[in-house]
Amino acid sequence: MAEHDTTSGTGAWVAVAVLLGIGIVGPLLVFVYDSETPTLLGFPFYYWFQFLMIPIVSVLTYAAFRIAQGATRRERRARGLGPEAGKEDRR
Amino acid sequence: MSGVHGVELGVFVFFFLLVTVMGFVAARWRRGEHLDSLDEWGLGGRSFGTFVSWFLIGGDIYTAYTFVAVPALLYAGNMIGFFAVPYTIILYPIIFVFLPRLWSVSHRHGYVTPADFIRGRFGSKGLALAVAVTGVLATMPYIALQLVGIQVVLEVMGIGNGSDSWFVKDLPLLIAFAVLAAYTYSSGLRAPALIAFVKDTLIYIVIIVAVIYLPTKLGGWDGIFAAAKTSFGHANDAAVAAGKPPSAGIIPAQPLHWAYVSLALGSALALFMYPHSLTGVLASKNRSVIRRNASLLPAYSFLLGLLALLGFAAVAAGVKTDNAQLAVPLMFRAMFPDWFAGVAFAAIAIGALVPAAIMSIAAANLWTRNVYKAFINPTATPKQEARQSKLISLVVKFGALIFVVALPNEFAINLQLLGGVWILQTLPALVGGLYTRWFHRYALLAGWAVGMVYGTWVAYIQPSAADPHAHFGSSLAVVPLTDTKGYIALTAFVLNMVVVVLATLAMRALKVSEGVDETRPDDYHADAGDPGVHEVPLEEPGTAPATG
Repeated sequence: MAEHDTTSGTGAWVAVAVLLGIGIVGPLLVFVYDSETPTLLGFPFYYWFQFLMIPIVSVLTYAAFRIAQGATRRERRARGLGPEAGKEDRR
Repeated sequence: MSGVHGVELGVFVFFFLLVTVMGFVAARWRRGEHLDSLDEWGLGGRSFGTFVSWFLIGGDIYTAYTFVAVPALLYAGNMIGFFAVPYTIILYPIIFVFLPRLWSVSHRHGYVTPADFIRGRFGSKGLALAVAVTGVLATMPYIALQLVGIQVVLEVMGIGNGSDSWFVKDLPLLIAFAVLAAYTYSSGLRAPALIAFVKDTLIYIVIIVAVIYLPTKLGGWDGIFAAAKTSFGHANDAAVAAGKPPSAGIIPAQPLHWAYVSLALGSALALFMYPHSLTGVLASKNRSVIRRNASLLPAYSFLLGLLALLGFAAVAAGVKTDNAQLAVPLMFRAMFPDWFAGVAFAAIAIGALVPAAIMSIAAANLWTRNVYKAFINPTATPKQEARQSKLISLVVKFGALIFVVALPNEFAINLQLLGGVWILQTLPALVGGLYTRWFHRYALLAGWAVGMVYGTWVAYIQPSAADPHAHFGSSLAVVPLTDTKGYIALTAFVLNMVVVVLATLAMRALKVSEGVDETRPDDYHADAGDPGVHEVPLEEPGTAPATG
């Protein structure tokens, strides 16, 4: 990984905040999706849109996870700590 | 209801007896093995990686809440019930933000409960007591929801019907309750842990069959939505003819948006304040597991949403009942062969027993650690602690039973939402404390008290739709200074925060002692393997660990 100064570290956390912010606020904007049409596979827009938000927020959260992981690793290295534990827990 | 079906009842009783036996056998798991097999269980809990955690937490999401409470609202034409979907979507980004910090500080200092953290952070035993007592109290209506789920299934199967005596009517529930209480008392957390495998298997089978098979029989999802719309249209016409406002529908009108949003947001903020869910999070291996899971868990929301829509499917299937909570079980009975209906009912009942057991144990451990040991008997022996936890787990379940009997439960979801009203009042101390030491401990206590009193009072004065003299009939109330209805928990929370901020300014102006903070800034970023990070002893000596 390339050298990162503190500014890009802050940038990473801003990106995390934006991604999560969209994930939290988006599903609460009922006025955006309180419509019956267009329907999809028999589902009114209101319902399929909310179902659609599930994978979208999931992807946003995963992106936030990857960015946060990278930023944490850089910060830990800068403070002389070992790499973040838990790389081995994919089971 | 057409009485008892032999095959259905047989299958149900088979599974119920199976898990009951497992529940009691779990107590003997330990005997004859080496001493630390219980600890082994706890250690297992502490080393859960992404996959195991994902599976376990997922199994916990499907309780009576998902199968009975949420679809009941939709069946009744109350489209607000679909708030469960945005609730479980936004839950995970929220978890992502603050739980890793709590994980870190808890592992540095050996905190097991939220109240432990509060005591360490604010140096205030009083505030910790408030948080602990709230946790125990709020768990009771949540367990009550599970008991209602069991009651509903028993009723649909025709057990305990046909009698006017309340005792005979409630007898099956009392038996189920006694069984639950007995094996949690004797086996602790090993009981639900062992049963959870049966529960999850049954539940996943039923969910997948239900959301795939039922729509094909009911003219597809467009058929289901069309049938619901037509039926609610008739209901609205009837309501208008009777001089009442039309209320049924499949999409919330603009005045209901805040109710929808506040229920979703309030529930999402509240969930991880509960003792049982927090301890489960602390059981994960490191910070990354929490964040990775936060991006995987939404997969469950998808099935949850389809299950909620079974409320509409029940309308399409022509199920007619005055008690909306019976709708989905009645549909299962009408649409499935008897043996599979038995499997489905067993899944719902066992799916309610397991979380009820886990919740009562977590609440009991919270009590023992932060009330009994902190205030009543500081020098308690492990044996006394264990006895206390067991006793309180009974008290909590008994409290839940009182909620079932005393409160209107035509919509059991209100029970869970009442728990949310209370538990959300601990958020300023807990989450605020994770980020800042600016809030004053006495201000947090004052805010908590105001939020609790306001929330309880407003919930108390809500009549139910069926009975204008009932109390605790709704979790929605008009937000002060507006004419919009919103979730009481969130309104009380805002009031709580206002008091916290104003009182903090006052306390700081008066220079009241703010207590000693035993945590340091870098505690909030520590990860497994760092200096000073210990495995959290997730169990009271002699009792079961709390997880889930």
